Amino acid sequence: MSITVNQWQKWQKSSLSLICGICSCLLLVAVWEWVGSDPINPITQVLPPPSKFVPVLFESDFKIGLGSQSSTIYQSVFVTLLRVFAGMTIAFVAAIFCGMLISLSEWSELFILPILGLIAPIAPIAWVPLALVVFGISNLTAIFIVFMGVFFTLTIATVAEIKRIPENLLITARNLAGSRFNIWRMVVMPAVLPSVFTLLRLNFIAAWMAVLAAEMTGLRDGLGAVVMTGRNLFNSNLILLGICIIGITGFAVDRLLLLIQRRFFWWRV
Amino acid sequence: MEGLGQVELPILSCQNLCKSFPGNQKQEKLVLANINLAVPKGSFVTILGQSGGGKSTLLKLLGGFLPPSSGRVFFDGQPLTQITPKIGMVFQDHNLYPWMTVEQNIGFGFKIRGDKPGTYQHLVHEILDTVGLSQSRKLYPHQLSGGMRQRVAIARSVVVKPEVLLLDEPFSALDVQLRRRLQDFLLTLWKEMHITMVLVTHNVEEAILLGQKLIVVGNQPGQIIEEVVISEPQYGDRYHPDFLQLQRHLESLLDSNLIDPVQAKPLPISNGKAIS
Repeated sequence: MSITVNQWQKWQKSSLSLICGICSCLLLVAVWEWVGSDPINPITQVLPPPSKFVPVLFESDFKIGLGSQSSTIYQSVFVTLLRVFAGMTIAFVAAIFCGMLISLSEWSELFILPILGLIAPIAPIAWVPLALVVFGISNLTAIFIVFMGVFFTLTIATVAEIKRIPENLLITARNLAGSRFNIWRMVVMPAVLPSVFTLLRLNFIAAWMAVLAAEMTGLRDGLGAVVMTGRNLFNSNLILLGICIIGITGFAVDRLLLLIQRRFFWWRV
Repeated sequence: MEGLGQVELPILSCQNLCKSFPGNQKQEKLVLANINLAVPKGSFVTILGQSGGGKSTLLKLLGGFLPPSSGRVFFDGQPLTQITPKIGMVFQDHNLYPWMTVEQNIGFGFKIRGDKPGTYQHLVHEILDTVGLSQSRKLYPHQLSGGMRQRVAIARSVVVKPEVLLLDEPFSALDVQLRRRLQDFLLTLWKEMHITMVLVTHNVEEAILLGQKLIVVGNQPGQIIEEVVISEPQYGDRYHPDFLQLQRHLESLLDSNLIDPVQAKPLPISNGKAIS
């Protein structure tokens, strides 16, 4: 199988980007270790270097917490991811559906869009107290917060993307005798999916922060709860460990979403 | 080329067709004025005019894609009031669906009507062979050249067997060599599939080569300033003296119809003249 010049250049570029990324992370860790190597440095007490907090994970057999309330780090990562993915998936599907419904009528746009515009800027964390009152301390609270953080922005974006579809794509479909339902299903929806998914990816950071905040303030498990356990135990090693896992997991999910985008939503209209 | 005497009654025609759009200072801008034309069934009609002269608007009116401000369009003897699948359209930009392969784009006309793939796959494969894209059927539009994309767009329109195919400057974005190959391809397709074709172009050579009937549209507002019936075989040879003479005549006609920038109104219109 021959490799074209274009493929080779692409491979070179992505390899360079990977190498640079790894180098910059290693440099950060090296500087951190160097600063933290001095035991009398007060910064070491607050920001212990990786060589101090990573072993905590192995010493505790990957378990965090006290007694019956302890859970493995895998469980914490899994439960946080589950909440984020559930909230984002529901928000994504609902936003596409609602955006399309709103676009069906000019009147619904005029009446509903201002309400969405009013709710969208509310920070997801602001919904935490209300969610705790309504859903109690449960997964539903976290899912609701992620949903509220993503849904309104995505719905507004869907309506905007529907307006942006080139007129001729729709005319062609109408000319080929497509029914209104089929045009929405086969032209409008695929035309807006990639842009809305890109926005979903950009909103992931907000959703991720929202669920962690919920876990820190109300819920008893998840990655946010790991950090709070560290705070309650005055264990800065645990706090840093939690923060690092949050960062690495967030980065991994973002890459995963990018992969999904490139694999399933690669086109642009 | 076949003579117009062999073709039947107009399948598409219009009477006193006018179209205006909202202009500056709440005044309507007249784009087309009193267009009367008849497209005989099975013929190849080319509409020639300069950019911005209202040719594309005329084509959209003929296809029912735009409502006229006044006048009427008739399709098969009946007033045309809306888009019909019997009149296909190929746009200047191919308008292929980027998330579909070549094969899916071509079969889209059947799929969107709710037909089962088994009922139309053989037609898609046939047209893929006709347009020479069988090897590329699994490729996506972004993986195709400009000429291949236009062939897919034409194939998508003709596979559903429209009675009339409207083509809005389909080759204008292509280089000369590719354009000539696609012109030949279009003529072959027209002869094989017996579809009435109406092509809009600003390219005089293209208009003479492809059309049996050539309609020249003047500028501001767009109106027919000359109709030319082309029936002699020498007009199929772009280097023949008669072809070159007609080309010069049409070019000077278009030049003389340019807007005078000082007076800001059209120069006098020449009378219609038929060459056969």
